[in-house]
Amino acid sequence: MKKLKVLLVDDEIIIREGFKKLFDWEAHDCEVIGEAADGLEALSKIDSLHPDLVIMDINIPIMSGLKVIKQSRMKYPDIAYVIVSGYDDFSYCQEALRLQITDYILKPVNYEEFGSCIDNLKISLFEKKIAREEKEEAREERVITVITRYLQEHLDEELSLAVLAAQFHMNPQYISQLFKNEIGVGFLSYLTNIRMEKAKKLLLSTALSIGEVAEKSGYHDYRVFTKVFKKSEGMTPSQYRKEFLTQ
Amino acid sequence: MLRMEIALFLILTLISFVYFSAEKKFSPLHKTFSILLIVMMIHLPLDGLTVYTVNHLESVPVFWNDIFHRFFIGSLVLVVYLFYQYIAILVEEETGKRRYFDFTAKIFLVIAELGVLIIPVHYAVTAKGNYSDGYHANICYVSVAFYLFLCAWLLIANWKQIDRKRKLVIGWALLIEVCISVLQAFHPTWLISSMGMELMTLSFYLTLENPELLRAELTEQKMSMLYLKSQVNPHFLYNTLDTIRIQAQLNDDKPVANLLMRLVDFFRLSVKVDRQLVALDDELELLEAYMELMCYRYPKLICDYDIDPDLGGVLVPNFILQPIVENSLLHGLKNKGYQGILLISAKRSEDHPACMELQVMDTGSGFEDGIKEKIDNLLTHYDKQAPKLEGNSIGILNVQKRIKLLCGKECGLWYTENEEGGVTAHMLLSTQMEEKE
Repeated sequence: MKKLKVLLVDDEIIIREGFKKLFDWEAHDCEVIGEAADGLEALSKIDSLHPDLVIMDINIPIMSGLKVIKQSRMKYPDIAYVIVSGYDDFSYCQEALRLQITDYILKPVNYEEFGSCIDNLKISLFEKKIAREEKEEAREERVITVITRYLQEHLDEELSLAVLAAQFHMNPQYISQLFKNEIGVGFLSYLTNIRMEKAKKLLLSTALSIGEVAEKSGYHDYRVFTKVFKKSEGMTPSQYRKEFLTQ
Repeated sequence: MLRMEIALFLILTLISFVYFSAEKKFSPLHKTFSILLIVMMIHLPLDGLTVYTVNHLESVPVFWNDIFHRFFIGSLVLVVYLFYQYIAILVEEETGKRRYFDFTAKIFLVIAELGVLIIPVHYAVTAKGNYSDGYHANICYVSVAFYLFLCAWLLIANWKQIDRKRKLVIGWALLIEVCISVLQAFHPTWLISSMGMELMTLSFYLTLENPELLRAELTEQKMSMLYLKSQVNPHFLYNTLDTIRIQAQLNDDKPVANLLMRLVDFFRLSVKVDRQLVALDDELELLEAYMELMCYRYPKLICDYDIDPDLGGVLVPNFILQPIVENSLLHGLKNKGYQGILLISAKRSEDHPACMELQVMDTGSGFEDGIKEKIDNLLTHYDKQAPKLEGNSIGILNVQKRIKLLCGKECGLWYTENEEGGVTAHMLLSTQMEEKE
């Protein structure tokens, strides 16, 4: 996989420094190619540097982060955005989700957990690719698509590399390598990601209790589920349900 | 005479307008008063109308005269009944005893209204003016006497438990109504019954239902929240702390960065202090941040949680757990050298279907002699306490007041002693709270 080019946009220099130095970009196949401190600078940097990913603070001078996204969307539809928002302007964040941004993170930023954000981005890039391939149809189905579809369909069961190995008569190490090569993330990160996606969908589209949502997304202990969910979304399942259902 | 009715109606319209546009908290008392105002708005025009029709017997058909009379006396009985209801709720709020006259009062209301509908109306024609008399007209005297008697009974039977101001208001209102009823009975042509009703309404409006007072009730609560809030703009505080946190991490100081992260969390969550209600999860997050900092300072302190995850989204009064936990730490576990366990749990209540119970259990030193009784007394008579701005018990008193105000009287805070030592704080909270903007 080629390295993802990242542009950092935040009006506070120390937060940009934090992003640059406290997160291991190398280990996640990424590279910070530029920084911007306000909306206009962000627009011109997007024009000149062609990033794959923009990490964008919403509350920035001259032009808000959301406006920057709206404007550059038309020119470069393939750029992915990760929104950084304070809790006090969380309502913007909900608006941003409607702009189909890849992900959002809430301040204070925990740089160690930022990796999962990059993983999410890679998984969504992978899913886009799959969707494109499915349209073409002609080509023979690839192993990774078969495996990921199997995972999607059996989310409420025990899943591990060993289970997959037995199901597809393959070596677990080989499957693990397949995930790294094809998607760019580890098997476990991928599994957690799709479990969370399923949980979020269930939280917003059904009235199931938190315990039932946990069960259906493959967590038999709701306490574990709540912990994982909070780490990945920055809020507990019931907070998530409340924030996004009552807008 | 009609001029008086018109004046009374105008005054009532004005106070109704002021009352309904005022901000107030929701309570059975205010609800009853609202209904009373509406019924009065209907009653006064009917009164004016009958004053006219009864004095124009020759030009107004008997049929219409009867209809208006029936409605007039019917609404009058309803007004007096509502006065009784209002006073009964007032007394109930003061004493906490159940309203054991309610059933009798309702039955009487039904019988009286039936009588108003069925018994034939009779008119007395005199040189000074006409009025209705006979059995039909006597219904209103009997009703007024009956309900006034019930009210007087409630007042006298609970004389010692009722707050002085309320006693005065109830007594004054009853006295006015008695005087006017007696005058009306001896001078039937005066037709002043509605004046009595209006004066009674006014005496409650000016004292207990005064919009300024209702607003003060609301602001007092907001003020006590503001008191907890830092004088500095909290956003500035936590943004700065976050900058320091990142700098610490850039300097490779992990422990400091982690502590600052929790402190930032704590401040970020306490910024929501101006909201009256928050989700239980938010409240617990604040508590976790606080407890992690405390546990770092006192490593022998252990904190455990047992929370029903489906209660996470339930709205609870803001900032109720932290003061209680702080009390457990400062008055219980501190005496044991900050060594022990703190268990925080949230469960649906088994006895109250629409409620949940939060518990804060500690293995601290427990209550000293006599303290338990003092706290029990303080929490039971929370509304009789003079407002204090400092002291040991301001925290729990404030929590108790806000729970009662926001969740209702059946909810609240109380303490029990654990068999194996230490104390448990219980909070019964409604799970049906809705956000009001």
